This record gives sequence, structure tokens and C-alpha cells, in this order.
Amino acid sequence: MKPLAVEGVVKHYGDKTAVNGVSLEVAEGEIYGLLGANGAGKTTTMRMVLGLIFPDSGTIRYFGKGYGKEQLSMLGYLPEERGMYPKIKVSDQIVYLGQLRGMSRKDAEDNLGRWLKRFEIEEYRDKKVEELSKGNQQKIQFIAAVIHRPRILILDEAFSGLDPVNVELLKATVKELRDGGTSILFSTHRMEHVEELCRNIAIMHRSNPVLQGSLKQIKGRFPRERVVLAGEGPIQGLEKIPGVKGVVRHENDDYELKVANPEAAQSVLSHALAQGPIRKFELMEPTLNEIFIQTVGDRHE
Amino acid sequence: MNSMWTVMSFTIRSKLRSKSFLITTVILVVLAIVAANVPNIIDKISSGGGPTKVGYVSGEQSDIVQGLQSYFAKQEKPDVELVAVDAAGSPEASLKQAIEDKKVKGYLTFKDNPDIGFPDVTYTSKKMLDSGTSQALKTALQSVKTDQAVHDAKLTEAQLAKLFAEVKLDSVQISDSTSGKTAEQQGTAIGLTYAILILLFMAVMITGQLIATEITAEKSSRVMEIIVTSVSPLKQMFGKVIGIFIVGLLQLVLLIGAAVVNLNLSQNKNALNSLGIDFSAIDSTMILYAVLFYLAGFFLYAMLFAAVGSIVSRTEDLGQAVMPITMLSLAGFYIAIFGLSHPDSSFIAVCSYIPFFSPFIMFLRIGLANPAGWEVIVSIAILLASVLAIGWLSAKIYRTGVLMYGKRPSIKELAKAMKAFKV
Repeated sequence: MKPLAVEGVVKHYGDKTAVNGVSLEVAEGEIYGLLGANGAGKTTTMRMVLGLIFPDSGTIRYFGKGYGKEQLSMLGYLPEERGMYPKIKVSDQIVYLGQLRGMSRKDAEDNLGRWLKRFEIEEYRDKKVEELSKGNQQKIQFIAAVIHRPRILILDEAFSGLDPVNVELLKATVKELRDGGTSILFSTHRMEHVEELCRNIAIMHRSNPVLQGSLKQIKGRFPRERVVLAGEGPIQGLEKIPGVKGVVRHENDDYELKVANPEAAQSVLSHALAQGPIRKFELMEPTLNEIFIQTVGDRHE
Repeated sequence: MNSMWTVMSFTIRSKLRSKSFLITTVILVVLAIVAANVPNIIDKISSGGGPTKVGYVSGEQSDIVQGLQSYFAKQEKPDVELVAVDAAGSPEASLKQAIEDKKVKGYLTFKDNPDIGFPDVTYTSKKMLDSGTSQALKTALQSVKTDQAVHDAKLTEAQLAKLFAEVKLDSVQISDSTSGKTAEQQGTAIGLTYAILILLFMAVMITGQLIATEITAEKSSRVMEIIVTSVSPLKQMFGKVIGIFIVGLLQLVLLIGAAVVNLNLSQNKNALNSLGIDFSAIDSTMILYAVLFYLAGFFLYAMLFAAVGSIVSRTEDLGQAVMPITMLSLAGFYIAIFGLSHPDSSFIAVCSYIPFFSPFIMFLRIGLANPAGWEVIVSIAILLASVLAIGWLSAKIYRTGVLMYGKRPSIKELAKAMKAFKV
């Protein structure tokens, strides 16, 4: 029984379609990546998962059950637009939010203590949120999302606006939660985070899911058409090989080639070997960034 | 239920800890204390400084002046003391000089009026609207004139007694109960009704604004997104409304407490009694109705304020958005103030059934016009039904509004969104 299963969810706002038939499943201990340009329908999808708005058609099941009050306490949410009560002490509002999710006061306070320690910001416990730096506010916001040990966590643009050190810290925390069995629905614009964290992804474009599946599968579906090549000395005549679409020569005598098919890559290799020893040869898999731009860009008109 | 309790206690705690709330409360309590002492203070100030000195040209109209002097001498605290001014040369100039020298505050001049056999008197002073002194002088002169006329008529003692016997007129309000309200009770009822109307209006406005502000602040700081995913919006809204209600009630109790304690100080009691207000004459059912209408009125307006607060995204836009509600409660309040002098007009009777006005106006009628029992029941029933209806509608608007960001939606957009959100 999957912790989260979304099936053919459709949502219209008036005559505008916000989400058109999204289906996805998140397993225990899995991070599912939801990608898409601004306005593609990611936030609406997440809001439907959170039960804030009801889908026009389709179903959303949590451990096999429909949406109900008992689901509220197992859902955690980090909204894209961050916000806390500016004039209330950190401990007061986190405990409040924990209590709203059904925790006891003491449990919430203990758990808050653990998280503050984890992020090394224990001294801010009794500070007002408005007195904190932006990075620390983000950490508090993250704690607010996970204080009640949710089994399904929804992170909307989790790492936006953070410096690299804090991104690493939060990323490590997210991985820990995943390894602890939490199912995470994750949206971002940062492809490298998705490549690092997600097993399955869905790319949404103009309310439609245009590409869906495991990261490996998706990458396999896109041909390997980038070759990186380096020899002892310069290699001549690469652009004349049939199937080669473009050659870029880097400063350190590395070549980057675009090839039409994997077979062309092999003839590139044999052509290069004929001219001397080869230091580096790789048929690169496409980056998610390329896939994303290709997928979304293709359908732009 | 449990999470509503959490919202409520969080609202109360954070409100009680906020500086602005504490300061407002202190200011209101100080104002209540000052207001409670105002009759006494006015009393002190107006009676302070002893009698006003009024000059006259010595030797002029000596019998009238003598009459005035003996009249003021008989008063416990004389309003006026007459001072003779020597008129060397021009009398007018020397009287004015006396004012300049601060010997007198004003002066009297006399001009014969043969028609009534009593001179016309002019009181001249620098002060505008010195009605206290001129009123005292007029009464005194009237008395002197009556004395003269009576003296001239040579009436017997019995005739005199008959002439000066006071007329007795008691005004008693008709009522179902046999007793009816005495003039004193009526005075108290008007005073009490007025005071409670003001309290009701203030409570509705201040706490209502507070509710709207709280909700908009949560929305604009985006905490709302987390809150609505943790607790059902309905519970959150009612938790908030009840929380603020308790805070407002606390403020009100402090305010009334301060006022009552101060009004019961002995010097204030005397001042109030002289105004015809007696606390022991307060009808306990009036207090009961006051509480009932306060509760119903509060929740009716609080729901509206909550709904409006939920559709506004930024605190800056809130003032404009709550304007219609403010107008509505202002209208109710002013109709009630008008009704204080015409509690039995049919306009007031009609308004006492309109839900947004009835908390003010039905209470006014109960206090002053003695409406029939069924009228009160019908009005309260309409009011309670509207509280439920408005509560239901507001909950729907709230449910939709809290998730709508950007510019304030029109009613049409709101209805569309409500349909889309399936609330």
C-alpha cells in the first residue's frame, strides 16, 4: 500500500485548467520530484494532496485511505512562500503548530529541542522570528514542517533562497528523513537537486504531466548524444565523420561532440584512436537540465 | 474540538503578550476612570473659586440691589457677590475700570422700564456665554420682582402660601407590571442604555477589527498556508473568533470594573445622584438583555469581520475592505442614538427587527419603550438565525478566501472560487 497515490487528478479554475490528469505514486522512503516551469500546476497539485482544495475528478489516497481529518497529522508541508508569525517566539509558534497537528505540548517541545540542536541554532529558541536571519528563518520553517514527524512530507521549493552551506545541511536532513521512511513530494527548479535526491519524477508543462517515470528510465529514453573526448595531441577531422553534428574544442584540448546516434560515437572513437592514444572518452547521458529544456521547450508553441 | 481549543489559547496568549494590546487596554481603563469622575470634576470646577463678583454703581436702585443681596445671602453657596463701585464721574467708565482692576467679573446697569414698573437690567462681562452667572442673576431678579409685586399686592399669609406652593408632576412610564418606572428609574434606564450602547458599539468595532487584522496578518505573513493544512479552516476561524472574544471580554470587564469602582466612590455617587442616576434602580433584566445582545451582536459582526479579513491579502487593504461593515455598525449605533429621544417611533420599531441593527435598537426599546414580549422574542430569533446564517456564509468565504492571494477578489470572483474549491 503506497503512502501516497494520486490518480488522474484534474482541477479547473473556472474555464482555466490548472491540472490535467496527474497520476503519481510515492513509496515509503522515496523522494518524488515534481518539475515544471512557473505556473505549470505544481503548487495546485501539492495543494490538492494537502487537501486544501478538492480535485474536480480523480482520487488521492493516503495509505489506501481517502482524505480525512486523521490524514492532517501525517502530512507535513513546507510552502513555497515562507512565513511565520514575525512577532512570536520561535518555541511558541513551533509548539503551537505541533499541537495543531495533534502533538502533546511536551512532545512538541522535546522534538523542537532536538531539531534546534540538529541545526545548531539552540540559542534562537526564545527569540522572535523577525529577529532571525533569513537562513535561520528558513530552518525554523523547515522545523515547522517536520516537527510532528509526518509520514508524508511536501516540500515546495525547499532549498530556494539558501546559501550553499545551508543547502547542504537541509539536503542531508531531507535524505535522513527519506532514509527514515518518510515519503516526500518535492518540487524545485534546481535540476541538480532532483538528480541527487529523486528516484521518480514528473515534469509538468501547462497543467499536463509531459514526462513521467524513474530518473533512470527517462534518461534511458533520451539518446546519449554527447561525447567527451581527449587525446594526447590535437585530433583532426572529427567534424567530417558521418553522424557528428557539432564539435566544440575546449581550452585544454578536450573535445565535446554532438552525435546523432551511439554508432557515430563508436566511429568517433576509432577515428581518434587512429591518430594516437586517447586519454578520455565518454558517451555522456543527458542531464536532466537538457531533458527538461528539450521537453518543455519543444512544446512551447 | 481539541485543535479549536489550541487555536483559541494561542490567540489569547499571543494577544495578551503583545505590547499594543496592553497599551490600548491601559489607555481605555484610564479613559474609563476619567469618564467616571467627570461629573464630580465638573462639579468641583464649576463650584470652585467662590461666588462671581458683580459690580454695580453704589446708590443706584438700592431696593433692588438690597433684594438681590438678601436673596444671595440666603443661598448655601452663593453664585454671585455684589460689589458696590463708586461712580465718580461717568458710571460706565468706573465700572469698566473695576473689571480692569479685577475687582469684579462683570457689572449690572439698570434702565427704567415704566411698562412693568421694574427696570431692565443689563449684565456686562468680558466672558462670552457666561450663562451660569446670568442665569443666577435672572432667577434672583425674578424673585426680587415677585417679592416686590407680592408686597405691593398686600396678600395674606394664606394667599402667599398658596401662591408659592410648588406644583407636583410625577411622570410614570406605562408598563405591563403594575409598578411602572419612576422618573428616577427612567433616568437610570436612559443613562444605562446609552452607556451600554456605547460599550456594545465599541466592543463590536474594536474586537471585530482585531479579528480581521489577525486573520489578514496571518494571511499576509503566509503562516496561513501552514495553519490551514494543520487544522480545518472552520475550527481555525471559530477558535480565532472565540479567542479574540475572550480577550475583548477581558478588556471590557476591566473597563467596566474600573468605571464601576470609580462610580461607587462616595463623591461620584453624589454627583450621579444629582443627575438622577441611581445604580440600585438598575433593572437586572436589563443587564441580562445587555449580555444577550452583546453576545449575539458580537458574533454577528465578528463573523463578517473574519470573512472580510480572510479575503484581503495585505494589511494595508484591510481598512478599505471593512468599511461597509463599519458603516453598517455606525448606522445601527446612530439610529439607536436617535432612538434615545424617540424610542416609540415606528422607524425604531422596524429597525429593531433588522439583524445588523437589532442588537443596538431592540436593546434600546427594551430599555426605554417597553416592547411586548413577542416582539423581543421575534427580534432575538431573527438575530440568532442571522448569526447562524452569517456564520455559515462566512465560514465558506473564509475557507475560500484564505487561499486566494493577490488583489482583493470581487464578489463574482469569490463565488467562482467557492465553486471551484467545492466548499
